[in-house]
Amino acid sequence: MKLILSDKDVRILEHSPAPVEQILLEQGINPLEVIISRNGKLVSEDTVIETGDEIRVIRIAHGG
Amino acid sequence: MSKEGQKSDLPVCSLCTEPAVIYQRHVDRHLCGTHFTADVELRVADIIKTQQMIVPRDRVAVALSGGKDSTALLLILNRLLQKWQNFQLIALTIDEGIAGYREETIQSAEQLTGQFGIEHHCISFSDLFGDTLDAFLKFRETQACSICGILRKKALVRGANQAGATKLATGHNLDDEAQSVLMNVFRGDLPRLVRNSGADSSGRFIPRIKPLSLISEKEIATYLVLKDAWRHLPDCPYTRYALRREVRSMLSGFEYRHPGTMLHLMESKKKIEHFYAGSVISEPIKSCRECGDPSSGELCQSCMLMQSLRRGHT
Repeated sequence: MKLILSDKDVRILEHSPAPVEQILLEQGINPLEVIISRNGKLVSEDTVIETGDEIRVIRIAHGG
Repeated sequence: MSKEGQKSDLPVCSLCTEPAVIYQRHVDRHLCGTHFTADVELRVADIIKTQQMIVPRDRVAVALSGGKDSTALLLILNRLLQKWQNFQLIALTIDEGIAGYREETIQSAEQLTGQFGIEHHCISFSDLFGDTLDAFLKFRETQACSICGILRKKALVRGANQAGATKLATGHNLDDEAQSVLMNVFRGDLPRLVRNSGADSSGRFIPRIKPLSLISEKEIATYLVLKDAWRHLPDCPYTRYALRREVRSMLSGFEYRHPGTMLHLMESKKKIEHFYAGSVISEPIKSCRECGDPSSGELCQSCMLMQSLRRGHT
């Protein structure tokens, strides 16, 4: 699966199907601090990600 | 895979059969895009009504930075205005003078107000205080958020007065508010913890309202994406100095492990406010001898700060 982070950092992960929440935690990302799209569509964090999916991670915290 | 097959992989909305776009952990509920946007708008309308934030014939100025929270606030209030039709909506943008950051957000604010035909006022630190925030912060970067906060507040009040507003609406969300509770506790600042900026001020200052204060930051971002209004904007260069940044990260971790933590913090604040209702905790309101604005001391915070900045220290 392909993981695209907000800073344009793209990571290709060899991962068996798993909830997006688990994948984020493994990458050190708090699921509450991001929103996720799977193949271009917003999904909830318990959505299971398949091997060929493209996941875009959008960081939401801004300001001071 | 068939369309039906794709759908079956996805968690579905608790209120219909459409795919969920968000899981609301604190109430253990999935919502699709349609039900989620309706839910957010309903909750905002509810807090406005319950707390009487907006009353008929109000002229509400949204403090519009152009960032996500104020953008969402303007969109939601504009929707409610169409339904209620009993108040006026204007936008107020402060240009602090932060090079490489504020230009894009101001452009975003101008586009948004232009799109909806909303009256837009802009006021700059240079006009009001004689220089940009960048200039004021030279060698004082670590104090950026407290200096900016005091001057921004002054600029917003001045701008709202000039625009004839009766309420000043800010985009503070649940995360912001819960962080503030914790920061005030950390600082031992009880007066600030129980201060209610939306309270009746008998006409001394424009009440501030926070209609998004029970909507989480994640919900606001999701709402904007669904409304096709999400924009990637630069971060303020001074946030790296902010205590809030540390508190945000800590609190977000707590909220993830213990859903409802932020709402519980807000409930605690409410209980403390209730406990101290009527107690003399804050100084009585006077008039600043420099600018005449309401103040707890001889000088208001911003006039005191400006004096210090002119003397070269804070």
